[in-house]
This record gives sequence, C-alpha cells and structure tokens, in this order.
Amino acid sequence: MTHSLHREGPLDLLNEECVLFVYPARGFNYDGSGPKVRRLGEMLFHQGPANLLVTTLRKNMYLAVSQEEILDSIKDGAKIFCVLENREKIKATLAKIKEMDEGISIVVSGVIDRVREISAELGINPHTVNLSLGIHGKTDRLPPPDIRQFTTMCGHGMVSPKLIRDLIRRVKTGKLDLWGASLLAAAPCA
Amino acid sequence: MLIRKDLCVGCGRCQPYCPVGAIHFEELKSNVDQEVCYECGTCLRSEVCPVDAIEESPHVYEYPRALRKFFSDPNATHALTGIAGRGTEESKSNDVINRVLPGEVGMAIEFGRPTLGMDLTNIQKVTRAMARAGFTKIEPENPFNDLIQNYETGDLKPELMGEKVLSAIMEFKITPDRLGLALRTIKEAAKEVDSVFVVDLYTRVGQGLTIPQEVLDTIKTEGYTWRPNAKINMGLGRANERKDR
Repeated sequence: MTHSLHREGPLDLLNEECVLFVYPARGFNYDGSGPKVRRLGEMLFHQGPANLLVTTLRKNMYLAVSQEEILDSIKDGAKIFCVLENREKIKATLAKIKEMDEGISIVVSGVIDRVREISAELGINPHTVNLSLGIHGKTDRLPPPDIRQFTTMCGHGMVSPKLIRDLIRRVKTGKLDLWGASLLAAAPCA
Repeated sequence: MLIRKDLCVGCGRCQPYCPVGAIHFEELKSNVDQEVCYECGTCLRSEVCPVDAIEESPHVYEYPRALRKFFSDPNATHALTGIAGRGTEESKSNDVINRVLPGEVGMAIEFGRPTLGMDLTNIQKVTRAMARAGFTKIEPENPFNDLIQNYETGDLKPELMGEKVLSAIMEFKITPDRLGLALRTIKEAAKEVDSVFVVDLYTRVGQGLTIPQEVLDTIKTEGYTWRPNAKINMGLGRANERKDR
C-alpha cells in the first residue's frame, strides 16, 4: 500500500511508519534511470521493507512474485513505493540512499517532525513539503474514522470500506488471522 | 467492468472489493451496475474471482466513458500526458523539475478523494467558483485540462456532464499573497458539492525543513489545519545534465 498524503490514523502509529518513493522525473532524469532505480530497489529489499511495489510490475511483494521478478521489471522511468515500519529502519535507509547518491528524487511520506529529526541527524536538507489540508464537502458521506485508517492507506481510494468491514468481521469471528486480513486488504492497492 | 454471467458462480466474493459498491447479486449472479461503476478495475486487479468471470468492458475506452477509466484506474496512463494517475508529479520530483519555486505555492484540489468519487457536475461547481475568484490557470501537464471547456468561466465540457471520476486533481500555482483567497473560495465551494475532496498545498522549505511562516499563518487564518504527516521531497534528486558537475 502506498501511504497517502491524506493517510489517517493515531499519531503514535504514524510516527513509526513511512512510505518512501523513488521517483524519476519525466524529461529530466528518466533516461538511464533504470539501473539507478534497480540499485536502490536492491538496497530497499536489503533493509527489510514492510511492503514494496514497482510501478512497472504493479504487484506488491506479497502477490506471489519473487524479489527477482520485481527487480527485473525495472526499466527507465520505473518508480518504487516502499513501506518502512520503524524509525531506525527509515533512518538507516535514508543514510544509505544519501551515500549511494543516485540523483533520483526521494520522497518520504510520514510525520513531519520525525522526518525533520532524521534529516537533521543525517545532514539531509529536504526541498519541498506537500501538506494535506483535510477533507472538505459532504464529509458525512464518508465511512467512519476507524475504517478510514485502513482505506486511506491507499491514496488512490482502491481499498473499499466494505472490504475492510468484511475483513474485520472475519478476524473477529476467527475465520481469518490479522496477517491474512492484511494481505487481502493490500491486494486492491495498485 | 463486466462480470460474465455464463461464468459467474454467484459466490459474491468480488462484491466487497468494489470501492463504490457497484457489484450486486442479480438472479443469483454478481452483476456490475454500469451507472455506478467507475471503471477503476479493482475487482479484476484483486484476482478474487475463482472462475475469472470479471472482464474489462469493451466500451471502456469510448469517449466520454473513457474518462472514468483514465481518472479512476491508477494503472491507466492518460492519453494526453503519458502520466499514470490523475495529476502531475506535483512535489514528488520538484527538486529536479523546480515546478514550484521559492515564493510560490502549488495547490491541488483532489476531487472525489477519499474513495467516494465525484461527478463532473459537482466538480464544475468548484471550477466555476475558482474561476470567478480569478484562478483560471491549471498546471499545464495535468490531465484535468482535458475536462475544461472555458478557463475563464470554469465551465467543463458539456458532453462530460453525465460522467464521474474516482479522482481528478485540479492543480495550480499561486503566490502566497493569493493563498488566503484560494482557501476561502474552496471553503465556500465545498458547501455546494454532494461529495468530498481533499485540499493540499506544496511549498519549498528552508534549512531544517522549515515551512514558510507566511504559508502556515494563512492556513490558520482561513480556518484550515494541516495534517501531522506530509509528503516530503528530500532534495536528493538532480537532472541528468547536472550529474557530472
């Protein structure tokens, strides 16, 4: 799942996770980006991501694809979305990216204060921030916040509130464990 | 999307996967309500059907229905921009492209997000309000330009009025002194729509991820708040021609 800008959830959870994007820029460093993105992808797998998706394959790492298949799909212009689930892993990964110096844009989607701290510790100077100013309009039509904690993990809105309710029901009735439910919830996110 | 009746076994497994609840039982088989379906492809992509009865509709790329596909399926690459998705690359490659410079603010109104989608009639209520306030210039490479009939009035193309999209992103760039007006206009327009949208802005930051105070003050003055989490471009990219410097 790619962590949306508008991801909702309790701060203590958000503090411990981030999504990292590897993002070549069309017309500026697309050409020849494939090998650089692949090297970054190999490094990201080495860091032990909670999830990882390459845009040229569009299958997350739990959808019966091997690490090699994911990496082999990378060509010029491929982007990577990678979920990291604790502060130390985020810091270690950014340190490695800085050291590799591949020149591809890196975006971290996470709690601003945590990214600020980690950047200072690593001597990285962030360039641009994209702030979410919230949901507007007929917000009473939205599913409740506890469901949105799951559905807003997918910025494209591909995870159905009905699916989340169904998965919660199946976990509560012992028909599915949490891991199994997580995999099913992540499947629609592309 | 379509579900082949001759193949469907009526298990109903696909139904919860539809983000907008377009799949229901009809004569003991699952059926996609074509009016409700956004052509996002989630039911197919989830590989949940045990008999492979889910297919893309043969008419999905016919205009104006194709709009649903291009603005709802993240895997669909828009014919105009060649960019998969609904917007541009926004802040994500700003360190390389410099789309938004110091002293500028990029803004985005993400119609239909999260999850509900929005029809073009409601989107037009916002584009007209923004045009009346003088916000008539849309980010050039954004596929949202394809929807617009008249930039000065904010009118969308009339033939699209029956269509709807899971998300369309109206992106524009302004100077900070116009941010207050933009936020006020958006807030007023939000009262007129029957679905939801999210608002975001992006701006260059100073040393130590310092967000310009003028921007933060305006957000607060206009009664908005920003979420504690954000997308942060780490400033590690560069254009190829600068590689050897």
